[in-house]
Amino acid sequence: MTQRPVNGARRLTRLALLTAIALTIFMVEAQIPVAVPIPGVKLGLANIVTVYTVFALGAGDALLVLLCRVFLGAVFSGQMMTLLYSLGGGLLCWLAMVGLKQMLTVRQIWLCSPLAAICHNLGQLLVAAGVMKTWAVLAYLPYLVIAGAGAGLFTGLCAQFLMQRLDRLGLGRKEENHGTKGH
Amino acid sequence: MNKQTKILAGVLIAVVLLSAGVLAWRKLNPEPARIAKISQKGQVLQEIDLTQVKEPYSFVIEGEDGALNTVQVEPGRICISEASCPDQICVHQGWISDGSEPIVCLPNQVIIQITGGGSQVDAAAG
Repeated sequence: MTQRPVNGARRLTRLALLTAIALTIFMVEAQIPVAVPIPGVKLGLANIVTVYTVFALGAGDALLVLLCRVFLGAVFSGQMMTLLYSLGGGLLCWLAMVGLKQMLTVRQIWLCSPLAAICHNLGQLLVAAGVMKTWAVLAYLPYLVIAGAGAGLFTGLCAQFLMQRLDRLGLGRKEENHGTKGH
Repeated sequence: MNKQTKILAGVLIAVVLLSAGVLAWRKLNPEPARIAKISQKGQVLQEIDLTQVKEPYSFVIEGEDGALNTVQVEPGRICISEASCPDQICVHQGWISDGSEPIVCLPNQVIIQITGGGSQVDAAAG
């Protein structure tokens, strides 16, 4: 399942576009106050793009988009502290997704995403535990597991619908990925 | 649905149910409120015995780059009433009076945890 990179400029443009979309979603979502008073709980809509990229373009490209989005997101929101948390969560989530991708096909994104989201929240908590130098923050783990499963299911379904629509338009992974699993 | 899908879906459901179980168990068996430990970056700033508090009072914790958290203390409970951070999660969390959840302010790295006084490894932290 290794992707042959399409020619340079095209790949760059596509990844830049995905990063811009993810960043926009991230910044808009950051403006919406969260109703639940638990640190780390949010929908994480920007991860729709991450999920899509992992499945449509491959693990490496997804990592690039993720890292750029996390870094720029921290710069734009003016909270460099969040960089650490986002990185810890993002990397663990990415690892989980790349692992799960070996076992699941495009049809099971809805399942891959909540599992990855739980890993994301676990990663964030581990970073928080490191920064605060206390394991007390792990008391939030059950909340974050449940929240992650819910949010992940939502973003996963979004990514799945997105994928189907883009396939129908002929813009999705098909043009690069002849003969992968799935459809 | 193939076999792997079923296994992974099972794992997901099990993890979620387990978490819900832990939360329910914690709600049913709250640790009696005793000592609020306020720490910043892992260093304990203050320990307040909430059972000994007679009069409500408040104080301010200062952090790096002008970060401020106003802590309010009342008999048996404690909260962060004002914070300089953008997300205000610690403020919205409101009063806590038992050990089920600490108040955490991630941007300012402040944490308030209520413990029973004795050995203090949280059951959830294991």
